[in-house]
Amino acid sequence: MFSRMAPRGRSGLGRSLAELGLLLLAILVLLDGTVLSLEAATSSEIDTHEGKPGTHKNTSKKSFPVLGIKYDDVSVPFEISLWVLLASLMKLGFHLIPRLSNVVPESCLLISVGLLVGGILKLARDEVPPVLSDRIFFLCLLPPIILDAGYFLPIRPFVENIGTILMFAVVGTLWNAFFVGGLIYAVCQIAQDKYSEIDLSNIGILPCLLFGSIISAVDPVAVLAVFEEIHINELLHILVFGESLLNDAVTVVLYHLFEEFMESGSVSAVDAILGLVSFLIVALGGVLVGAFYGILAAFTSRFTSHTRVIEPLFVFLYSYMAYLSAEVFHLSGIMSLIACGAVMRPYVEANISHKSHTTIKYFLKMWSSVSETLIFIFLGVATVEGEHHWNWVFLTSTVVLCLVARVIGVVGLTYIINKFRIVKLTTKDQFIIAYGGLRGAIAFSLGFILHSEHKKIFLTAIITVIFFTVFVQGMTIKPLVELLAVKKKHEAKRSINEEIHTRFLDHLLTGIEDICGHYGHHHWKNKLNRFNKKYVKKILIAGDRSKEPQLIAFYHKLEMKNAIQMVESGGGSKLNSTFPSTVSMQNIQPKIHSPPSARPSERALPQLTKGREEEIRQILRTNLQKTRQRLQSYNRHTLVVDPDEEGFDDLILKKRRMMELDWKVCKTSSHKSSNAIYSQAYVKPGAENVPTIKIDLASPQSPDSVRLLDEVVQDQGLTMSLPSSSSRAYKTSGKDDGRDQQKLLRCLSDPGPDVDDDEDYDDDEPVPT
Amino acid sequence: MGSRASTLLREEEIEEIKKETGFSHSQITRLYSRFTSLDKGENGTLSREDFQRIPELAINPLGDRIINAFFPEGEDQVNFKGFMRTLAHFRPIEDNEKNKNPPATEPLNSRTNKLLFAFRLYDLDRDDKISRDELLQVLRMMVGVNISDDQLGSIADRTIQEADTNGDTCISFQEFMKVLEKVDVEQKMSIRFLH
Repeated sequence: MFSRMAPRGRSGLGRSLAELGLLLLAILVLLDGTVLSLEAATSSEIDTHEGKPGTHKNTSKKSFPVLGIKYDDVSVPFEISLWVLLASLMKLGFHLIPRLSNVVPESCLLISVGLLVGGILKLARDEVPPVLSDRIFFLCLLPPIILDAGYFLPIRPFVENIGTILMFAVVGTLWNAFFVGGLIYAVCQIAQDKYSEIDLSNIGILPCLLFGSIISAVDPVAVLAVFEEIHINELLHILVFGESLLNDAVTVVLYHLFEEFMESGSVSAVDAILGLVSFLIVALGGVLVGAFYGILAAFTSRFTSHTRVIEPLFVFLYSYMAYLSAEVFHLSGIMSLIACGAVMRPYVEANISHKSHTTIKYFLKMWSSVSETLIFIFLGVATVEGEHHWNWVFLTSTVVLCLVARVIGVVGLTYIINKFRIVKLTTKDQFIIAYGGLRGAIAFSLGFILHSEHKKIFLTAIITVIFFTVFVQGMTIKPLVELLAVKKKHEAKRSINEEIHTRFLDHLLTGIEDICGHYGHHHWKNKLNRFNKKYVKKILIAGDRSKEPQLIAFYHKLEMKNAIQMVESGGGSKLNSTFPSTVSMQNIQPKIHSPPSARPSERALPQLTKGREEEIRQILRTNLQKTRQRLQSYNRHTLVVDPDEEGFDDLILKKRRMMELDWKVCKTSSHKSSNAIYSQAYVKPGAENVPTIKIDLASPQSPDSVRLLDEVVQDQGLTMSLPSSSSRAYKTSGKDDGRDQQKLLRCLSDPGPDVDDDEDYDDDEPVPT
Repeated sequence: MGSRASTLLREEEIEEIKKETGFSHSQITRLYSRFTSLDKGENGTLSREDFQRIPELAINPLGDRIINAFFPEGEDQVNFKGFMRTLAHFRPIEDNEKNKNPPATEPLNSRTNKLLFAFRLYDLDRDDKISRDELLQVLRMMVGVNISDDQLGSIADRTIQEADTNGDTCISFQEFMKVLEKVDVEQKMSIRFLH
């Protein structure tokens, strides 16, 4: 395989290796810099101490320090930034070597890097700073990942499989905990290791059960990291991932339960029942707290139409508050975060601008990516740092027991679950679910904060299990998926057909359920939807969007994407078949003219003549060039181009003209029923039904379209004069005035750097890994 | 319950229905009691009014079409067998059925037959094509009155354009099946009939 790649790839491989080598070198230098600067810090401290008695004695006059080192003040942020930089550079490095990232999942590479870095630091300074403290982990590193998961959780498959997920999460985790805990205790009692300094039989049943509860939980971070690379089908993904999210409640309860028991020393039946009650409270309480904050966030976003810039901040803040509030009461923070993200998403997305939506998406992905990288690196570092008690019996039996427990648990539960499922889980599915039960950093952190005398051996065992699952299972799951030919994820996005027909089937099934008198899945979903539409949406979504049916919203999104793609792929040849459609996500009654030929395939519709097309292309070319050369200054708070900018005035004028045109066009849009023949959307000067170019000034491509419109209006003779029906429109749309105005305002109220935003608008849906 | 001696279900009927539709004994009896509770006229058949009396069906956008689907061509009454035959489309597909005895004809709840049922709900005039107007009608029912005709028209056009592979501006059954090949129809079109 390598020889096949050789002619093309050897140079590439060599180049990328060289780059990685350079990166590593840079990092080593950085780290040494840290080491050196820390030493310099200590020495500079000594200097200042000596300086003070010096001034008292007044013996020597020190000259003014032109250049000095003062590291203490910035040490903490400096080191944090250094770590994050290291993590990001590592991520860059991995993707430069394509072969490596295909074989080894990222998490393994990152842990290896962590081991390496930890080793270097240990050699350099003979002690390693404990970087993975539980405070940092639980408060800073974990929430972004969970929020990212919760906000983008695919609600429909999640809710459809909620029974299965809950079974795996609750019953599965409990089974794992007790099985592993109990059998480890048995192993400890039986095993007699002459060579170890620890007496295993000292470990009581309760510490063992505590250990079992820590090690039994499937970890969302690890699962996400591995499953995202194997692109498995949606059902399996949501099952394993949902289980990893929901078992947090169980883990929290078990952990606290066993800790309390260990301190009090005895267990009674009442305690067990209290434990059960506490589980319900932890789980439901977490969800309620999250939902509460989610609704607050949705409600707040209703009023942000004038301060679009800080919209993403609300989303992040409310979610973080939900997490912290849940942690205050010892409720499940993860579940609260998931509930918050999932609840607020539909409403917030209907309220915020397109740009805020993009911002939220990218920030979440960025933070969660960095967090994940840091977690794995720190895991590696912490492994090198801690004291380890190697006890082969304990370690191997832990690993074996974990695997066995997982397999038995999954098989047993699937047998029961399949009796209630419409689509049964096959053996292949079961295998993947069992194999995907990875442990990760949460287990490590929980072990880290143990107050037990056997902490070290537990920690060693936890690390061993984590390494085993991440390395062995993580690396082999991809080939296994290929080998077993498990169904993969469908990469294509949903088409409008699927959307329509799925809704159709929903209604159909609801009807059939009602006929059968069967209060099933669809019945309750329908009821929830109706309640949602009637009351909740009115409160939480601003203005008219609350009435917009979901189908229309979906269609708008599709159209928007299409229009953006079209403009980006160089509008010229396609311009003759269509004009950009009215694709603002904030527009309720747009005038849509484009769809039949938005796709580049069949149906070339006769549009403009060749000459006109050339003219339009010319205009676009020249105007596009102009905009890219302008340098903009901007006001931090309003994102509008600074008024001092040259040439801004005529932009304002054009904008005003556009607004007027838009305004008039908006009003005529709702009354054009008879002229709507979409397959014949051609333009004739002076034609009756002039297809209108509706421009959404909130979208990045608008300035060019603005120019086009203006040029067209001024020069080309395409009459944008209003058709005669407009007078009718003015009269009859009396009561729609207010609504139209509001619509238009929302259309235009999203301030954007209208001119200089073109460059960085890239593809809509990249998936940062 | 006792005075309906003439309409009680006989064992032979149950066996027939079982063979034809694949429902289990208990499911058939349960659905029979539902049938009789809907049958206010107590004559062993259901009319359209009986269906329309179900309150949730009245607010269902597809209510009328679903009701029509129960009645065979041109008839106004449906007996229990017809009722079960229609409902059989929504039985979950079972894996073990394939292994035991492959049926001579395709079972009513196969994926193709499920999709055919849904297709017939779109295609009112039974010409085996969903035309633009038929699609518009369904869209209008599902979306409500707020949306203008233009907008719906463009959605319909877009839908047909996406699905239409042979260029006849209508969606045939094959095209319909192709579009939905990624959708998990087995799960979406199945009801968990309790045993």
